[in-house]
Amino acid sequence: MVDTLLSGQLLFAALVSGSLYALVALGLNLVYGTLRLLNIAHGDLVMIGAYVAFWLFTLWAVPPLVALVLAAVLCAGLGWAVYAGLFRRMLAKPALAKRVEANSLILFYGISVILQNAAALAFTASPRAYRWLDTVITWGGVSMTLNRLLTLGVAAGICFGVLAFLRFHLFGWGLRAVIQRKDAAQVVGVNIERVQLITICAGFAVAGMAGVLVSMTEQITPFMGFPFTIVAFVVIIVGGLGNIGAGVLAGFALGLVETYGIALTSAGYRSILIYGIFVGVLMLRPEGLFTKAVRT
Amino acid sequence: MTDVLLSVHDLSVAYGQVQVLFGVDLAVARGSVTTLIGANGAGKTTLMKTLAGMVAPRSGTVLFQGRDIAHLPSHARVDGGLALIPEGRLVFGGMTVEQNLRLGAIAPSARAGHDEMLAEVYRRFPRLQERRHQRAGLMSGGEQQMLALGRGLMARPRLILMDEPTLGLAPVMVRKVFDTIAELRAAGFTILLAEQNARVALEIADHATLLENGRIAMTGTGAELLAAPAVRRAYLGL
Repeated sequence: MVDTLLSGQLLFAALVSGSLYALVALGLNLVYGTLRLLNIAHGDLVMIGAYVAFWLFTLWAVPPLVALVLAAVLCAGLGWAVYAGLFRRMLAKPALAKRVEANSLILFYGISVILQNAAALAFTASPRAYRWLDTVITWGGVSMTLNRLLTLGVAAGICFGVLAFLRFHLFGWGLRAVIQRKDAAQVVGVNIERVQLITICAGFAVAGMAGVLVSMTEQITPFMGFPFTIVAFVVIIVGGLGNIGAGVLAGFALGLVETYGIALTSAGYRSILIYGIFVGVLMLRPEGLFTKAVRT
Repeated sequence: MTDVLLSVHDLSVAYGQVQVLFGVDLAVARGSVTTLIGANGAGKTTLMKTLAGMVAPRSGTVLFQGRDIAHLPSHARVDGGLALIPEGRLVFGGMTVEQNLRLGAIAPSARAGHDEMLAEVYRRFPRLQERRHQRAGLMSGGEQQMLALGRGLMARPRLILMDEPTLGLAPVMVRKVFDTIAELRAAGFTILLAEQNARVALEIADHATLLENGRIAMTGTGAELLAAPAVRRAYLGL
């Protein structure tokens, strides 16, 4: 038992799922932080990314690394359509903007149902999978498939790339300003509408890319997205809503807790663990574990 | 007024069914301090927010440097040289003092040479330099007001709109804010100041306007309003 817990194997598995959770949650957190939209269809973008990778690979042998780019572009386009078609006018009118958070939940629920059933109609509900880069390599006593290693590398790379962008690029500063205080961001002259549009595109794109990574190692179904939505919400609540850096940290933390928790108990406890953390954090520290409360 | 930087004509603003401003006219001369006084709820903050583009007017024009900006988004106004120091300061509490200041220069027109401007702000407010790595949310109200002012200056504005800059400040800080306003005027800035602290605000003002229930009740020089019986009774408590 102790051997299992101390093995590099388990740590690697935890990091892989943690990096995916962090990545999926990152997109949700960006969209919630800047637009206050509760995207309950976020996991369905993961599903779309997964199907993009699956069909490109199966039909034309396009490697998933290329699909990564195409899925990002497709999902960014969806983000643009959702923003321009549904939310731009709502966010511009103060009376509607006040209710946009609650309304977005319902709207995105509808979008989620449409996406799932459109996928089921188009691709049937049968699970799909493909094999790519599943060679096992052993490194430092830890055996891993190349595609899992790639997942970890790409997911962590995107997460930390986004964090670095937010920290060092002027546009990233503007984005953080919008998350932290929209009215103040407006005062200093941040182009709010542009930040919101780019952020929703980026948030959707990140989810699509996560889907491509997931598709390399897991089965693809039209309904695979919902668990990712749940995990993403747990992660951003644990990290603190709109707190991008803490969200990434919380994603990795949740991967660790889940993997080690299952190793200690059994796979049947997965949901109990995740929802347990969720409820526990909401009860004890609703502002998030990693958020320092600062009054302004 | 010979050289008018900002002129407002027949401006009306409403929040839904509730009209707040009724046909307001206002002119701000280049290089002056123009003060807007009035009771709570008279519409001072609404007027400031409308000028900054945070509230859309129902009708009327806002000419800034000869151009009608009444329907420009706020970021375009900041870029054009109009900075608001908002009521309640609205600093980014979770960011450091220096990050707040650098964000003040996010408008494209302010980016070039924003390091010099930062040095200039630090020269003007040495306290901000001492606290540059501190989180803005942990500073006192007076320090946050200095930060809000410095952040506004970072945008290299031609016109500074100051909304209730002394609200909730200790008397010594109130003095400091008014000293700063005088210094800024001397340095060539144009300032439109909305203030409940009517006496000091009128003493410093070149021009002044009294706003009552969303309408202009009186305009004149600062001294004229200070001497007006209606102002003395209602706003100076004499």
